[in-house]
Amino acid sequence: MDRLLIVDDEEINRSILIAGFADLYETVEAYNGRETLDILENSKVNAVLLDLHMPDIDGLQVLKAMKASGQIARIPVFIVTASNEDEELLDAYNLGATDVIIKPYNLQFVRQRVSNIIELYNQRHHLEDMVAEKTQELVRQNNRLVEALANIVEFRSNESGLHVKRVREITVLLMKALVDEYDEFKGLKDDIESIAFAACLHDIGKIGIPDAVLNKPGRYTPDEFETMKTHTLKGYDEIREMKDLMDPRLYEYSLDIARHHHERYDGKGYPDHLVGEDISIWSQVVALADVYDALTSERCYKKAYDNETACNMIMNGECGQFNPKVIEMFRRNIESLNSLRLSITE
Amino acid sequence: MALLDELSANGSNTTEGLSRLMNNASLYERLLKKLPGSVKPLEVLPHIENGDIKQAIANAHTIKGVTGNLSITPLYTAYTKITDLLRIGSIDEARNLTVETLPVQEKILTIIEKYS
Repeated sequence: MDRLLIVDDEEINRSILIAGFADLYETVEAYNGRETLDILENSKVNAVLLDLHMPDIDGLQVLKAMKASGQIARIPVFIVTASNEDEELLDAYNLGATDVIIKPYNLQFVRQRVSNIIELYNQRHHLEDMVAEKTQELVRQNNRLVEALANIVEFRSNESGLHVKRVREITVLLMKALVDEYDEFKGLKDDIESIAFAACLHDIGKIGIPDAVLNKPGRYTPDEFETMKTHTLKGYDEIREMKDLMDPRLYEYSLDIARHHHERYDGKGYPDHLVGEDISIWSQVVALADVYDALTSERCYKKAYDNETACNMIMNGECGQFNPKVIEMFRRNIESLNSLRLSITE
Repeated sequence: MALLDELSANGSNTTEGLSRLMNNASLYERLLKKLPGSVKPLEVLPHIENGDIKQAIANAHTIKGVTGNLSITPLYTAYTKITDLLRIGSIDEARNLTVETLPVQEKILTIIEKYS
């Protein structure tokens, strides 16, 4: 049953509205602004009938608080007032009030106006829920597609798909650490999942590398290395072809990561030789995750290094220079990263 | 004489009051009987005389709202005017009207209390 919050410092006014709505909604009453905000914070409310003039926190202050918390977008608020001051009522509308009911009123009309709006809001919420559910389903499908594509690349490289999973999870851990530690990255908090799935596609360009090079069990010749390096540009082009299939955020991150996960902080990476902060933080994180997992895994051309050796190689700059902030988060999380890596097995 | 008839004879529009409450007579009477308890603590004149016009407006405004919803017309009309006069700074006029209204208010509340 929908819940109606009736706010008035005068008992008779509350009693009238409670009597008027008792057969339609569950009613809950508050006699001042503070109590109103407590109820709104701690329980579900479908609409508020709000007096403007109350001691302590008045109706306009309640509206301001509801606006600040975002509640005003979800909960219709009806101002019920004997005030005839246009300026005050305009303030209420500007703060997000849905409608103004002037005392004295006819209870039947108030019932109709309030229930019409509650029904409209309920329909809107229902539609929003449906859209959110469908969007989530699309994102899930998108992510499954990304994983499947990434696995194809891994299998071609005679790997099991675990590298992609480990790079993804290492990326999540390092991105969360960066977001928690540095204000400049806090805005990425809601994008970590997209970045993680984009990380899965970092080597998608290897699809275009000949088997003889991709699976060569030894050191590359300079020419072979040049061929191998093109997987960044091939990956970039392949993802561009998938633009219409991908969520826009996932697409942008995938494009950047595929192209720039071999760039290095000192400009000695490839393909664009970007330097320092010109390399996006997510590409720098995936770069480190990729190197860390490659070092600690056995490959057709090398044995696996133990965790301590691999970490030292990364921190000493033996695998190229990484962003100092990423390195610092790596250093602080070495134990967690090792446990995470070991937990992702066949 | 019943409560509604007596209030009607003293200027209240009880037909309108009933209509406002979806012709629920028992609700109307129940709310009317709460009126003295609500209105009596809301003094206006002492605040005007003390110069606390903000509180005088707040109390007059509350009485206006309650009496309006219950269609106690003499009090609703008077307190609407008192609120407006206070807001525009006509303090003496507001004070005079409040003094004139108090006996009317007393009479109406006494009628209601008789039936409580």
